[in-house]
Amino acid sequence: MSNTIKNNPVYKAIMSSSRILVLLVLVIFFTAVTKGTFFSYKNLVNILYSVSLIGIMICGACFAVLLGGIDRTVSGNAALSGAIVAMTILNGGVSAGNVALAIFLGLGAGVLSGLIHGLILSRFNIPAFLLTLATNEILYGFVQVATGNTLIYIHDCTLMDYIGQVRWLGIPIPVYIMIACIIFAYVVLNHTVYGRQVYSVGGNRQASELSGIPTRKVILIAYIISGFMGALAGFVLSAMNQQASAGQAKNYENNVLAAIVVGGVSMRGGSGSIQNAILGAFLIGVIENGMNLMGVPAIYKDMAKGIIIIVAVAMDMASVQGTPVNNFLRRFKKKSA
Amino acid sequence: MSEKNELLFEMRNIEKIFAHVHALDHVNFDVRKGEVHALLGENGAGKSTLIKILTGVYTKDGGQIFMDGKEIEINSRDDAADAGIAVIFQELSLVPTLSVYQNILLGKEQSRFGFISDRAEKQQIQELIDRYGFPVKATDIVETLSVAQKQMVEILKALAADAKLVIMDEPTASLSSRESELLYKIINQLRDRGVSIIYISHRLEEVFNLSDRITILRDGKNAGVVEKENIVPSEIVKMMIGKELSESTASRELHTSDAEVELAVKDLTHIGAYNHVSFEVKKGEVLVLTGLVGSGRTEVIRSIYGADPYDSGEIIFEGKVIKPSIKRSVANGFGLIPEDRRTQGFSPLLSVTGNVALTSYDKIAKGGFVNKKDEDALGRKAVELTDLRPANPNVKVGDLSGGNQQKAVLGKWLTRDLKVVLIDEPTVGIDIGAKDEIYNIIEGLAEQGVAVLMVSSDIAEVLRVAHRIIVMREGKIIKEFNHGVATQEDILLASSGFVDEKEAA
Amino acid sequence: MKQMRQETLRRIISLVLLVVLIAVFTFTTDTFLSWDNITSMLRECGVVGILAIGITTCIITGGNNLSAGLMLGMVCMVFAHLYHYTALSLIAIILICLLAALAAGAFNGFAVAILQIPDFVATLSTGMVFQGITYILAIRNQYGSITSEMIKNPTMALLGGKLGNGIYYVTIAWVVISLIMQVFLKKTKMGTYIYAMGSNRKSAEYSGISFIKVKMVAFLISALCSFIGALFFLGRYGTNDVDSGSALSLQAISASVIGGAAFSGGRGDMIGTLIGVLFMQVLRNGVLKFNMTTAQQSIISGVIIVLMLVFDAYYNEFMQKRTARAAALAREKEGAGK
Repeated sequence: MSNTIKNNPVYKAIMSSSRILVLLVLVIFFTAVTKGTFFSYKNLVNILYSVSLIGIMICGACFAVLLGGIDRTVSGNAALSGAIVAMTILNGGVSAGNVALAIFLGLGAGVLSGLIHGLILSRFNIPAFLLTLATNEILYGFVQVATGNTLIYIHDCTLMDYIGQVRWLGIPIPVYIMIACIIFAYVVLNHTVYGRQVYSVGGNRQASELSGIPTRKVILIAYIISGFMGALAGFVLSAMNQQASAGQAKNYENNVLAAIVVGGVSMRGGSGSIQNAILGAFLIGVIENGMNLMGVPAIYKDMAKGIIIIVAVAMDMASVQGTPVNNFLRRFKKKSA
Repeated sequence: MSEKNELLFEMRNIEKIFAHVHALDHVNFDVRKGEVHALLGENGAGKSTLIKILTGVYTKDGGQIFMDGKEIEINSRDDAADAGIAVIFQELSLVPTLSVYQNILLGKEQSRFGFISDRAEKQQIQELIDRYGFPVKATDIVETLSVAQKQMVEILKALAADAKLVIMDEPTASLSSRESELLYKIINQLRDRGVSIIYISHRLEEVFNLSDRITILRDGKNAGVVEKENIVPSEIVKMMIGKELSESTASRELHTSDAEVELAVKDLTHIGAYNHVSFEVKKGEVLVLTGLVGSGRTEVIRSIYGADPYDSGEIIFEGKVIKPSIKRSVANGFGLIPEDRRTQGFSPLLSVTGNVALTSYDKIAKGGFVNKKDEDALGRKAVELTDLRPANPNVKVGDLSGGNQQKAVLGKWLTRDLKVVLIDEPTVGIDIGAKDEIYNIIEGLAEQGVAVLMVSSDIAEVLRVAHRIIVMREGKIIKEFNHGVATQEDILLASSGFVDEKEAA
Repeated sequence: MKQMRQETLRRIISLVLLVVLIAVFTFTTDTFLSWDNITSMLRECGVVGILAIGITTCIITGGNNLSAGLMLGMVCMVFAHLYHYTALSLIAIILICLLAALAAGAFNGFAVAILQIPDFVATLSTGMVFQGITYILAIRNQYGSITSEMIKNPTMALLGGKLGNGIYYVTIAWVVISLIMQVFLKKTKMGTYIYAMGSNRKSAEYSGISFIKVKMVAFLISALCSFIGALFFLGRYGTNDVDSGSALSLQAISASVIGGAAFSGGRGDMIGTLIGVLFMQVLRNGVLKFNMTTAQQSIISGVIIVLMLVFDAYYNEFMQKRTARAAALAREKEGAGK
């Protein structure tokens, strides 16, 4: 009897990931506190909807983090792509051809941005964090130029309306797009040669190189995927809001980073999974949503996120270098001895 | 300097046990005042364990340590420093962006209200430098100095800390011969001023010239102490080696002595690393490049593999001149077992299967998608071929023991159709049982007709697996031994510089 | 053979760039080199420059501080909050602000030195916390939404003022603090330790220098800079909006990098950062003269930072190769001579 439970894949999955356990506890907690409102169908769909954009971005940014890098330009890519899509539609009308062109240009901008990042980061030993911090500013500069710093409304575009408003089986389209992206990232990371190479290069670049893996190409492709996913998220965001603005998606990269880190993907590269990163996004999403329902002011969210990242990374570091408290005590003892 | 034979430092009956193995078994070692005392022994003889105990990195499991006749305990680096013991590290421990005097006084600055008395410090250190006549200035920034100069700064650091006993571990390994000469002079100067020196080096010639006494360790035990007047090189080498190994190359015939040449290099030169190196490796042959660390062996095989460039010469594979790149090498059936498996050999976070499969995706993937079944089969095959333990291809390689990690690295290439395998120090840090298994794997490869080119410093290992042996020194081929003719003594003498000019020519 | 030090060459390069830039703008615009423009440029340098002093200190230890600007925003808001809602004296408010800044700096130090979180991630997260606090403390109208409130305090307004010849106090403060910090870094024990820790952590620790102490000191210095910067910021603008901080950090970091500080640690100093801040300001000011929008400005400054990063990486690679090659040739020559 107990054995059959233990062999149950669902049971195994739950026990193997403490994050699922934490998620379950949180869900139960918020459901109890909100007297069930939290667990209502409507609210659960809300959570899915609010996580979907971050989820799409994670499917790209995850590749960079697995390689030991980071891509903070997911937000800039999103903003730029959203702006390009909106401007193209505004200027060229809502004909099918023009909308297709708009999407092509928007996503193309993301791919191009990823290509440039990949070329620089695969060739030069530059901290990805800093480079993408600077390039994100550049991307937002382009967004401001493209939008002229005004809010751009998208009217009567069937496709955008469809993505933004229609629900299948009661679930908004962006959620389906996120699921498609997750499946894509999952398959690439777990079933393709490229995925294997990502983990290998992230774990030990030198050894990978000596095994004949084209490490530079692997890094290049990761940033291209990241650029594409960022741009896709931007397109979806514009469809959700039916508008594009110069500051849209700003600071989303922090949420993406937070989710990935909370999901246990190592900042040192080589370990972690897309499932867990998405789980991290849901953890944060659930906390935000629960806090909203409990009436906690939105201003506390930033703080909560900051503290969550600190705790998550501190735990990750502690698993390698010993817990900070122990290390500290040891050092202290040594000194006083 | 009152009396030349007065003891400064003594270690009695030192014991150190690692996992039930005696790394040091009742070792005695002493140093007189103003003496250069060399510590000799093959790799694994216990030299570095002894040094680590005496510098506080390890704690001894038994025995006593005396300094100036008083018993002391050394449990940390600070204890060692307090006792007046200083180490000149192989990998230099200086701060590159600070100046010489700042480095020498780091952590011991004279200060008033936190402000350093700069001028006094500079002057104090410059005086110290002048006293010894070192060619550095107190205000030089360390990163602008040569390796030899940095070493002098390390020595100055020891002197400024009033060290009575200075340990030099392979100090000449990365020095040119002119720089080495300067170092010898400095060592003699230190001795004349009453500083005692423990000198560790694989270069027997310099050891014999410099030392007042030599202590020889073998298998964690004392093998002898020799005074300067009694030094006879061949005797000392015998003490280091112990009994002749019963199993030598003579017992292993090359079955394919008439086999065709698989790989050849002609006049291969990489400036500063190796010079006009030429040799051939036949199918089924194990050719070992030996010599001291830094003699250019590793650089040669990395160039052949395409991991490093070379300046001139030819690499010939199956009769055709090739321009190697890693990608082409892998496609041609080359494999590399690199020198430092931890940084170059494997991805610690990946499973055995994950590591092994890295080289074989051309075989087990279609259209970019991995065939999981084939991949798992490959992992199992690697485990089987190398007898990897635990026999589970899903274990992370980072969690395996050293020997099994190396087997996983071997597995990367064994599962492919190899033609040439380049192996660099395959058994460093691996226990004896696993060593044997790795030798069997290498021999097995040769029997299948693979050309094996191996680099090794472990002479017992060289004799065990080699069909032919090439000794390199300072980037050049010094001597070549056919199978069955070389003894441990011959190789040791050749690699450390004792070769008759006639023979070398 | 002794080689020219990496720093010396970098200093020359950044100075030459600055001079070239000044020359270009002098010839292409007529107002650039006027006294008014110079003093206003130097005024603009002030707050960023003061932040950059702290950030450079962190960078020299081998770290970074992305939260400096947000901390400045937080301190401004602590001031504004207390000024608006309490009847405390100015001195008391300033003291509380100082304590808040030091506590925030200690929090950074705790995250980096004791929790061992990489500096980038740690200070990004602490920055989020500081920003959260800024929001919480923001001054609200009776409906609860954030309003803008001018601080009308003559003493504070004085900080925004200038000398008779047109040089602003903030400029003087920036230069004086830079010089003090330069002396601190080069002439004191702790300054030497800061360099040693960034350049070679292991050997610094072997010499008995505490990693935790050095990191703490660096972050506290940076916090102090954020505090001083905040006072001048308030003195000038009399107000603060909740989002002003993050852009300041980026500008200050860029100035550090242009001035020769390396993320790997152990390199850079206050004179370099001074040049870097001037460079950034001259660039922005000159570009402004061409009637560029803020968007175009941020693109151009972003591109210049990227170019500096690439140049820095390429340059380091080149120097390493050159050193290795020179050593190899020396060995070769000697071998041939034997």
